[in-house]
Amino acid sequence: MKYLKSWPVWMLMGLIVVALLTVGTTRDNGPLTQSDRIDSITKHIACPTCDGESVYVSRASAAEAIRNQVARDVSAGTMTDDEIIGSIANTFKAKVLLVPRATGVDSLVWILPIAVLVCSIAGLWAAFRRWRRENNGEASSDDVALVEKLLAEDPTDEDNV
Amino acid sequence: MLGVEGLAGPLGRAALFVGLIGAFFGMIAAVTGTRNEDEKVLRLVPRFATLSCVAAISAFAAMEWAMITRDFSLAYVQKVGSKSTPALYNFTAVWSALEGSILLWLLILTCLTSGIVFKYRTRITDPMVGWAVAAMFFVGIFFFILTLGPANPFAVGAAGVLDGPGPNPLLQNHILVVFHPPILYLGYVGMTVPFAFAIGALITGRVGEGWLVETRRWALFSWGFLTLGIILGSWWSYEVLGWSGVWAWDPVENASFIPWLTGTAYIHSVLVQERRGMLRVWNLSLLVSTFSLTILGTFLTRSGVLNSVHAFSDSNIGPYLLSFFAIIVVVSVVLIGWRGQKLHSPGTIDSPLSREGAFLANNVIFSVFAFVVLLGTVFPLIIEALQNRQLVVGEPFFDKLAVPVGLTLLFLMCIAPVLPWRKASGELLANRLFWPAWGGIGALALSVGIGATGFAPLLTFALGGFAGGAALRQLVLATRRQGLRGFVGRANGGMVVHIGVILIAVALAASNSYTHSQEMLLKQGVVATFNGHTFELTGFTTESDARRTVVAAVVRVDGGKSYTPAITKFKSMGTNIGTPSVKSSFVNDIYLTVEPPIKVSSKTVKIKVFIKPMVMWLWIGGGLMGVGTLLSAFPGRRRKPTDATSAPVPTGAVS
Repeated sequence: MKYLKSWPVWMLMGLIVVALLTVGTTRDNGPLTQSDRIDSITKHIACPTCDGESVYVSRASAAEAIRNQVARDVSAGTMTDDEIIGSIANTFKAKVLLVPRATGVDSLVWILPIAVLVCSIAGLWAAFRRWRRENNGEASSDDVALVEKLLAEDPTDEDNV
Repeated sequence: MLGVEGLAGPLGRAALFVGLIGAFFGMIAAVTGTRNEDEKVLRLVPRFATLSCVAAISAFAAMEWAMITRDFSLAYVQKVGSKSTPALYNFTAVWSALEGSILLWLLILTCLTSGIVFKYRTRITDPMVGWAVAAMFFVGIFFFILTLGPANPFAVGAAGVLDGPGPNPLLQNHILVVFHPPILYLGYVGMTVPFAFAIGALITGRVGEGWLVETRRWALFSWGFLTLGIILGSWWSYEVLGWSGVWAWDPVENASFIPWLTGTAYIHSVLVQERRGMLRVWNLSLLVSTFSLTILGTFLTRSGVLNSVHAFSDSNIGPYLLSFFAIIVVVSVVLIGWRGQKLHSPGTIDSPLSREGAFLANNVIFSVFAFVVLLGTVFPLIIEALQNRQLVVGEPFFDKLAVPVGLTLLFLMCIAPVLPWRKASGELLANRLFWPAWGGIGALALSVGIGATGFAPLLTFALGGFAGGAALRQLVLATRRQGLRGFVGRANGGMVVHIGVILIAVALAASNSYTHSQEMLLKQGVVATFNGHTFELTGFTTESDARRTVVAAVVRVDGGKSYTPAITKFKSMGTNIGTPSVKSSFVNDIYLTVEPPIKVSSKTVKIKVFIKPMVMWLWIGGGLMGVGTLLSAFPGRRRKPTDATSAPVPTGAVS
């Protein structure tokens, strides 16, 4: 059992994961229906007359009109998804885009989460460093005796399984 | 009616006024009694709590009475009442708009305050209890003021109105409207209890672990109700709105999700404080954040500053809510600052590779997630303030950021359950994670084998299998030792919650990534095929009453049972509402909607079919989260939380 859980077996497991992920991510995921494409595009466009809903979600007439426009563009088959979204955005100005741009003040919505994440991780790292410095004392003989006694007792503390 | 027409308004207003008086004097009694250690005054507190609770119940009953008797003398009944609304939806119409929903909030809050006072009636002289009760009365006073001021459900309406439009058509289309808002509000309002005890602990300086122990079940149940409320809201969205989704990152959905995220962080990190006496400031901050975010969310979505499909009409409630939010934050920050010295934690975390280390990482991720959702929700306001232009932040933004955050949380769910407190060695981890890891590989292999594609969904399935294996390992070990008791207690019940979360994550990944849809023009008697399923229009049904006309297409699916996607026209509003019809199974859902207009005479209908994998597991996962929360509330076998970490577990002890 000890050998079963040794590092070469973990390496093998890692390789299996990489192989499976490679197979799964590189193979063709099958054809999309026209409706699938329309759904995917309209999820990125805000209904101009609704309360923050996407064209995909909304049943308002303005959303219906945009959906029909997207359906016509998809049927024509001359534009990519991004080009269709771009043409709708040009018609209605940027306020129909549901994803803020990564330029100007709008980019703050992308930058701030990353900044907060980085600061949090840095804070955590600093805290662990401080704790490690504060926590370099040796266990006393009493501590050791207490731990040994407890280990010998019923180990069914559910929080420590 | 019965000679009492128009009585509901004066009765309701009087009840609210009496309730306000009760809450006010309750707070005064709690504060003065506690400060002067005057037991006689403190004995008055339960009476004032009962008075304000009975008053709120009376006001709510008066509002229901007004709605049931169609008392159109009240502006609120004119807004959401209608003679043609069926009894059930007429009952729920009370919480279908701003004023009534604040009344529901008040009802739950006063009942909780009364419950707390009753539970601690023998300890009312304990200063921490006294200050906690005072804090609850203070919140109650605020909500009484709202219902008597900017959100008065008993305001007199225009004269001569004999009928109204009824509630929003979407709120009279599905039974879930009975359960979703009250359960969600139980979650929101329940967070007042741990918050109030935190304030009590800060004021009295008893910032050790005692107040956590007092409130842990309240926090757990509030979190459970919030979870259940969110799940029911998703289910309602799926069954009613007709776009086949469960979550649209709508501002109101976000307003419930943000406190859920901080609340989830709290119920994890509180274990570190109970066990190690650490993270005191952090836990207080999370609790204050969770409570204040419920108020901020209410402000954002009920004041009209943000648009949302849920948002009620503009009102002047905004400044009240914003001021209350500011008071909560300022008072809490000042109190935490004041008690800074006492909040210093005595211990340290020995290693990042420990259970407390994993909880800390979990807290960082949950907090960042909450920040992302809050930022995305308020960003349109920021841009409007800075540049005076309109911007919409929607689903693609949230999805883009939520996926990596969700995957990181799933990864932590793989590791954390097997980690011991204090420190783990690499060997121990390799040993404990071995079979769960094979669970992940098995899930990945199965997914690839049945044709799943895409990096994010495949990684979700793999991590789901891994995390599921880690949770099952804990449950198997616990039940092997303790039999059925191995399912109860926070650690074991928590693992049941984890399994529920994993099922939801897997179901969301599958349904979001592999849904296929098709619009079809069905001709009666002609079978159409899509994605291996057959669809045949066999006819139409029409139902009409004073309120609405429902026209449904009868579509036989796979040659078996017929389903009836419909269009409902609400006559008083002239609104067409689509109602989907869903064939559910453990593998996938076949979700049918019908495109208006339906021309019965043409014997054709345009339908849209969505094939959505694994949606059923979303609801099963939600149910498991509820069951797990209940199991967590039962006492497991553990040390007394007030004992030192190294204290032995008493034999046969159940704390």
